[in-house]
Amino acid sequence: MKFRTFLSTAGVLALTCASAPAADKDAADTAVEAAKKYAGTTISIVWEAGLQSLDPLNYSGPQWEKLTGIKVKVVEVPTDQMFTKIMQDFKSGAGAYDALNVIPSWMPDLARAGALEPLDKYADKFGYRDELQDIAAAYRDNQMQYDGKIYGFPDDGDVMLLYYRKDIFEDPKMKDEFKAKFGYELAPPKDWKQFDEIGQFITDKMAPKVYGAGFFRTAPYPQYMFQERFRMEGGKFFNADTMKATVNGDVGLKVFKQMVAENKFMPPGVEQWNFVDNLAAFLQGTTAMTISWPPYGRWAAGYGSGEEALKWVPKSQVAGKVGYALTPLGRPELGVGFDLSVSATSKNKEAAYLFIQWLNSKKTSLERVQLPYTLRDPFRLSHYASEKYRALWPDAPAYLDTIKTSGEKGLLDLSLLQQDKYDEAMTKAISSLWAGEDPKAILDRMAQQFDAITEKVGIENQKAVYKVWAAKPGAYPQ
Amino acid sequence: MALSASLNAAEERKPSRLGRVLEDRLPYLMVAPAILILLLVGLFPLIYSLIVSFQRITMTENDTSFVGLLNYAELFKDTRLWTSLGHTAIITVIALPLELLIGFLMAQLFVDRMPGRQLFVALLVLPTVISPIVAGATWRLMFDVRFGPIGQILSFFAGEPVRILWTVNPAYVYPAIIICEVWQWSPFMFLLLLAALSNVDQSQLEAAEIDGASYLRVLRGIVLPAIAPVIAVACLIRGLDLVRIFDIIWALTEGGPGSMTETISLYTYVQGFSQFETSYTAAISFLVIALLTLITTLVLKRMELAR
Repeated sequence: MKFRTFLSTAGVLALTCASAPAADKDAADTAVEAAKKYAGTTISIVWEAGLQSLDPLNYSGPQWEKLTGIKVKVVEVPTDQMFTKIMQDFKSGAGAYDALNVIPSWMPDLARAGALEPLDKYADKFGYRDELQDIAAAYRDNQMQYDGKIYGFPDDGDVMLLYYRKDIFEDPKMKDEFKAKFGYELAPPKDWKQFDEIGQFITDKMAPKVYGAGFFRTAPYPQYMFQERFRMEGGKFFNADTMKATVNGDVGLKVFKQMVAENKFMPPGVEQWNFVDNLAAFLQGTTAMTISWPPYGRWAAGYGSGEEALKWVPKSQVAGKVGYALTPLGRPELGVGFDLSVSATSKNKEAAYLFIQWLNSKKTSLERVQLPYTLRDPFRLSHYASEKYRALWPDAPAYLDTIKTSGEKGLLDLSLLQQDKYDEAMTKAISSLWAGEDPKAILDRMAQQFDAITEKVGIENQKAVYKVWAAKPGAYPQ
Repeated sequence: MALSASLNAAEERKPSRLGRVLEDRLPYLMVAPAILILLLVGLFPLIYSLIVSFQRITMTENDTSFVGLLNYAELFKDTRLWTSLGHTAIITVIALPLELLIGFLMAQLFVDRMPGRQLFVALLVLPTVISPIVAGATWRLMFDVRFGPIGQILSFFAGEPVRILWTVNPAYVYPAIIICEVWQWSPFMFLLLLAALSNVDQSQLEAAEIDGASYLRVLRGIVLPAIAPVIAVACLIRGLDLVRIFDIIWALTEGGPGSMTETISLYTYVQGFSQFETSYTAAISFLVIALLTLITTLVLKRMELAR
């Protein structure tokens, strides 16, 4: 009897032990196990050229090969050519690419054209649905599907944050003088009026050593800031019934005038600033406030400053002095982001899918968003909560909390058919703004261009896409 | 004896009819493969793009139906297209004479042999061997309002900070492009004109000198007529290059601010590779080809170079 009890107990234990790895298997392990049958093959993935590509080139690509025996060929393409390359490959049917990096606002065009492989069946087959729930809602609900099907896994928590100099904002003398002048506390601005008052105040007190704020102003970045401010001030891009552009109303005019006026308290020549100019100014302590994507926060804290790949980033003079906040009016633009997709013409669809599932999984993505030299930003609930990430620098918890809140409140980029054309019109318009052209004339021209694009795409087609986009909670502030 | 007999027989043997035909056509047969390749790589894309210009191809749609002359009709309504042609004309009309003048003056300086001439000439032509996109990027740094040496030099002479937004301010953006363009391509004019000036008949120049002719008289009466064909060819080459200008502007302004410096090449690129209007871009290209053919024919006729 005892022997039989021993045997049965041993049997149960053995079964439990044997099944335990299967039960604990996460999406990363599942992908690795399933991919082993493709060992010896090579898959190609389109990735943004430059810094971003160091992730698959140096980190995830070699790891995947080690785990599965599948080689990863990284096809580096500049951002502004990615859409074209993907479409060219699809139209020619060459099948040169297996996996793709896709900017979410391109998804309607790419999915409609048939260039992207629907991923639902793979996600079900390889048990990825559960882990998708860990992706922050802003990205999961808005950047993953088109027409009810999954075409990509959100892989980059792009969102605009306000960075400010805590040492200046908490300086007792500055605080007293500011309160005496404006009647409220010197703190991260809640709206654009406060932003202007604080910016001007700091410039008056500290320029030319420190200016109140600095922004990137060259194409294509400011159009995301315009999209955010325009909507937060009550603007709508189109009349939903007629699809006529409505960007040239009073709200657009107000925002354009404010944007031009703000340059006056920013450093001279700010009109020419690009991403790096603005980064350098903030890291060197020349500007007290700026708005940008999450990498600014990591680099300002000095995270990754020893990395060879980050030698081009100026050494932070403000480490430990940087605070993080929501942008004025509290609904920041999500601003671009990246999805991982599979090319419809790939000859290795399943292998490509398994690679992106592994990349995007909870476990692997947590490692990837901590790579200091790449620009992938936290996008999962588990990233925000990660103890490891939160211990990376003293203010990392505040940084991650702000990214999380910003993501939750984030406004979606406008995403219509042939969105690139609308983006170009906005970019050109803002560029004309810095040249001193009349804001009303610029807005009228932009509206005309919007209308011409809509007409060419087809008013009814576009109306349907706009209706779906505008109904999303992140499209217009509720 | 046997050998001479067979030679005589060969001489007397007349080639067959096929042999004669082959002999007549041999030159054509020899060049036929080359012509075929040229047709394939040159004419086929041209004809294919002409067909595309009558279709409705965009990269994002699957509709490839024929639309006749619709794309060409669209060209006439496209104000941005005509504005970009205007910008191209402005840049060409200003830069070309400047390059010619500067090239000519430099050539005049170097036409007489002097110590170190070759070294100086080599140094002077350096800008032309730089890629235009690099030249544009370099000048963008030179014009930078914070770190650029041009601002610092101007500030030194002005005695106060001079902050010119070269690539943003509409008053300076064309000068910036033309400075860069002239800097890079005047040496090309210089080289051609130096060669031409070196070949002017010395005896005529000496005779003019003995007769006491003024410099301007010599220039008008002897030098310019002698180098006129070279000037014409140089202007034609540079003129066509200026109409195609892309890299320098792309690096300096990307056609901005707004579309203020967008030339026809930039606009074609935007339509084709950023906005994916494949058929419409083909129509634009044919419009440009037609305009260029017309202008080139007129210029050649005017300069009597077509003969």
